[in-house]
Amino acid sequence: MYRVRQNSSAGVLLCLALALLLQGCKANRREAAAIKIRWAHDPENLDPLQLANQTAVDANYLLNCSLLQADLVTHQFAPVLAEALPTVQFLGDSLMRLHYSLRPEATWDNGRPVLATDVAFTLKLMFCPGLPNETPSSEYRFIREILLDPNNPRRFSLVCTGQAVEYVQASGDFFVLPEASLDPGGEMRRFSLADLQHRPATALPNAVLQALAQRYAAAAPGQTPERLPGCGPYRLVKWEKDRYLRFRRKPHWWADRVRPRPVLLEARPARLQYVIIPDAATASLALQRGDLDVFPQMPTREFTRLRTSPAARATLNFYATASYDVTTVGFNTRHAVLADALTRQALSRCLDAAGVLKANELRQGQRTVGLISPSDRLNYNDSLTPVPFDPAGAVRLLRRAGWQRAARPEAGWRRQLPQGGTQELRLVVRYRADEQLFATIALQFQAAAASIGVPVALLPTESGAFSMALRNGDFDVYVRSLRGNPFIFNFTSLLHSQSVGAGNATGFSTPESDRLIEAIAAANTQQRRAVLLRRFQALMQQQAPIVPLFFLSSHIAASKQLTGLHPSSIKPGFTATAMDWAAGPTTPQ
Amino acid sequence: MAVLTTFSFSWTQKWAFAWLGLLVAVAAVAPALPLPYLPTVPDLAHVAQAPLGPGRHWLGTDVQGRDVLSLLVFGTRTAVLLTLPAALLAACIGALAGGAAGFWGNRRRVETAYWVLAAGGAWWVLRLPAPWLGPLVAALAGARLLMSKRNRPTPGPRLPLDALVMGAATALDSIPRLVLVVAMAASAGGVSATGLLVLLTLTAWPTPARLVRAQMLRVRALPFAEAARAAGVPEWRIWLRHAMPHAIKPLESNFPLSLVSLLSLESTLSFLGVGLPPEIASWGRLMASFRQEPSAWWLLAFPTIMLVISILSLNALARWRRI
Repeated sequence: MYRVRQNSSAGVLLCLALALLLQGCKANRREAAAIKIRWAHDPENLDPLQLANQTAVDANYLLNCSLLQADLVTHQFAPVLAEALPTVQFLGDSLMRLHYSLRPEATWDNGRPVLATDVAFTLKLMFCPGLPNETPSSEYRFIREILLDPNNPRRFSLVCTGQAVEYVQASGDFFVLPEASLDPGGEMRRFSLADLQHRPATALPNAVLQALAQRYAAAAPGQTPERLPGCGPYRLVKWEKDRYLRFRRKPHWWADRVRPRPVLLEARPARLQYVIIPDAATASLALQRGDLDVFPQMPTREFTRLRTSPAARATLNFYATASYDVTTVGFNTRHAVLADALTRQALSRCLDAAGVLKANELRQGQRTVGLISPSDRLNYNDSLTPVPFDPAGAVRLLRRAGWQRAARPEAGWRRQLPQGGTQELRLVVRYRADEQLFATIALQFQAAAASIGVPVALLPTESGAFSMALRNGDFDVYVRSLRGNPFIFNFTSLLHSQSVGAGNATGFSTPESDRLIEAIAAANTQQRRAVLLRRFQALMQQQAPIVPLFFLSSHIAASKQLTGLHPSSIKPGFTATAMDWAAGPTTPQ
Repeated sequence: MAVLTTFSFSWTQKWAFAWLGLLVAVAAVAPALPLPYLPTVPDLAHVAQAPLGPGRHWLGTDVQGRDVLSLLVFGTRTAVLLTLPAALLAACIGALAGGAAGFWGNRRRVETAYWVLAAGGAWWVLRLPAPWLGPLVAALAGARLLMSKRNRPTPGPRLPLDALVMGAATALDSIPRLVLVVAMAASAGGVSATGLLVLLTLTAWPTPARLVRAQMLRVRALPFAEAARAAGVPEWRIWLRHAMPHAIKPLESNFPLSLVSLLSLESTLSFLGVGLPPEIASWGRLMASFRQEPSAWWLLAFPTIMLVISILSLNALARWRRI
C-alpha cells in the first residue's frame, strides 16, 4: 500500500513537473515571440541624417536615441538622453541658450558613456559637406553653436539664433550618433559648428571633412545600420527589402538602469518584426489569421467592417484617435503650366474633399484649410473656408490665368506664352499604388478635370519609385499624406526655397513665403506664432502649391493579447516599445 | 484542291456564338450605349453600394463609387479590343514564323548581301559604337542586292531559320508567361493598352508557330508540293499559295483557346494591378476591388460570371467538328 501511495505521489510530482515545464516553455515561447507590426512600405533608407519616410523614423527610434522625444502618453516632449528638459536662458533679444545635461546612465553598446562631444559631433555632421544632410541642415540651422562644459563632459549648452518657443523641443529632436565610430581621432573638434554652417559651397575641399564623408559613406548607415550602432534599445537583426525588418532588444540597454523609468525608455518586446505588406486587404487578412499583431493606419472602411465583426472582435482590439496626418495634393510648380497660382487654384477646385471624406473615410476626419489641424484652435485659421469643389469656378480661374479652351473639347486648354509658343494643360497624377484613399482622390480629380476638359493621366507608383519621383520632380500632381505633430511648426523642409530638390517636392517658394516660414520657426511667443501661422495658411491657400484636403483619423487594430499600446494622435500612433504580451494563451510564433 | 466543308454546331456552340457575338457587339458600341454613368466617373455619394440600390446603379458600385454595370461594359470592350487583336496578331506571326521554319528548315541559303543588310540593321538597332556605321553598311548591302538582280546572285551561308524560330519559341516558353509579362511590365514602369497588346502578342505567338511548323513538315512532303516544284513554281509561291493554306488548319481550333489564354492572362494581370492603367475598365480589376470590400459580393460575382461564360464559350467553339 505504501509502495502504491509512493508511486502515486511520484506520478503527481511528475505531472506537476511536466506542467511546470510546459508552462515554462509557453512563457518562454511568449517572451520569444516577436510582435509583428504592419508597415505599408519599406523604409528604403535608415540613415539617421536622411529620413525618407515615417517608417524610417520609426525604425531609427529603435536603433538610436534623441535628446528629447514626443511622449505619446502625456502629449508632451520628454527627455530621453537628456536628464531633463533644457533650461532656457535668453541672451538679449535675439539669442537663447539651452542648457542640457545628459543622463549619467546613457552609454553606447561598448559601455562608453554618451557625452556632450557626441552631441556636438552629430550637430557638425548635419553641416558637413559631402553627407546626405540637406534636410537636417535646413531644420537645425537655428543652432549656431554648442558650448561644452569643461567641468562636466555630460553638460553642454546650445546657442540658438532667435528665441522661438519651439526651439526647446526642436533642439533635442535629432538622433545622437557616436563620435568614436566615425571620428575616432576627434579631428572634427577643431571645427566649430559656425565654421561648418557658414562654409561656402565654393570652399576648397578639406581633407578632414572629406575623410569623414568617406567614412560615413563606407559605414552606409542607410543600408547597414549595424555598422554605426546607436544607443537605442534595439539592434537590427535582419532586413529583407520590401519584406520585413527584424529587431532584437539589446540584452543590456543603458535605460534598464534608469529608475523610475518613463514610458519613453520602456523597451519591453524582446523582438519586434515590422512586416511590409503594401496591400491593406492582405494585411487585414494576415491580422485576422494571427500572422500580424498590430495594424496601424488601417483603412477606415476595413476598420469599421472588422469592428462590427464578432469574430474579429473576439481576437482584436480597436483604437480610433484623431491624428495629425493630413492628406494633401501637391502641384509641381517647377513645371511651366503649374507655375502660376491661378492655375493651381483652378485645379484645386476640382478636388471634392468633402465627397472623398464621406465616401472613403466615412466622415471620420476633419476638413482643413491648411496644414494646421483644426483641433489646434490657437493656430488654425478658422477665418478661411476650405477650398470648395467647384468645377465651374475652376473654368473661370483657368480663363483668368490665360488659358483658352480649344474649339474641339478633346483638345483641352491652351495658353499663349508671351515669348511665343503655346502651353497645353495636360497633367499626370502620381500616387502610391497601395493606398486606396489616394486612388479615390486621383480618380475623382481626373473625372472632375475631364468634365472641364483638362486631360489627366493617373500613374499609381510603387512606394520607393514614388519617393524618387517626388525627389526628382517627375510628376505634375501628387497625392500623399503628410505627418505632422502639435509641437513644432517648422515648414522649412517642406516649403522653403532651401529645400527645393530635397523635402520641398512642389518646388514652391517665394520671398514672402520664405520670410514667413523663417518667422514662424523663430517666433518667440505662442501668440506671435499663431498670428504668423494663420497668415501662412492664408498665403498657402492663395498660392496653392499644396492643397490640404483633410486630417485623417488614426485607426489601429491589434491583437487582444497585447498590452501597453498607448494609442495616440501623435505619430506613429502607438508605442511599439511599450507593448507586451498579456498573460493568457500563447501567441503562435 | 477543292474541299467541300460544312459546319455543324451543337446548341452549346450556338449559345457560345451568340454570347461571344454579344460581347463583340457590346464592345463595339460601348461608348454609344445609354449608360447612366461612365466608368471613369466615381459617384462618391454611393460607394460600395449593392445592386438595385439608389442612384440608378443597377449592378451596384465599387469601393471608389464607380458603376459596376458601366465597368462591366467597358471591361468587355477592353477584353475584346485587347485579346482579339493580340490573338490574331500572335496567330499571324506564329503562322508565318512556324510556316517558314517548317518549310525551309535550316537548309535555305541566303545571299551574303542579306546577311550584311541584317548585320547593319542590328548594329543600328543595338546602338553599337558609331551607330552610323549600321545604316552605311546596310545601304551598301542594299545597293549590292539591287545590282545582283541584274547579275547572278551569289548564295551565302545557310540560314538556320528553323533553329532560330524554335529556339526563340522555346526560350519564351521556358519562362511562365505571367512571370514574363509581369517582369516586362514592371521594367517598363507600367504599360499602356497598346503596350499590353504588344506584350500579349509577343508572348502568345510560340504556340501557333509550333502547330503550323508541325503541320508544315507534313505538308511540304505531300505530292502536290513535289509536283509544284517539278513544274518549276518558285519556292516562295509554293510556300504561300499551296502549303500555307493547309499548314494553318490547326489554328482554327487553337484560336479560341488562344483567346481563352489571353483573356485569362489579361484578367490576372489586372487583378494583380500590373496591367492596364487604372482609368481603363477591366473585369480583372473589378474582381480585385472585392478584396477592399469583402462584403460587396457583386464586385466578384458579375465579372466572374462574364469571364467564366466567355471562357466556356470559347472552349465550346474550340471543339467544333467539320464534316
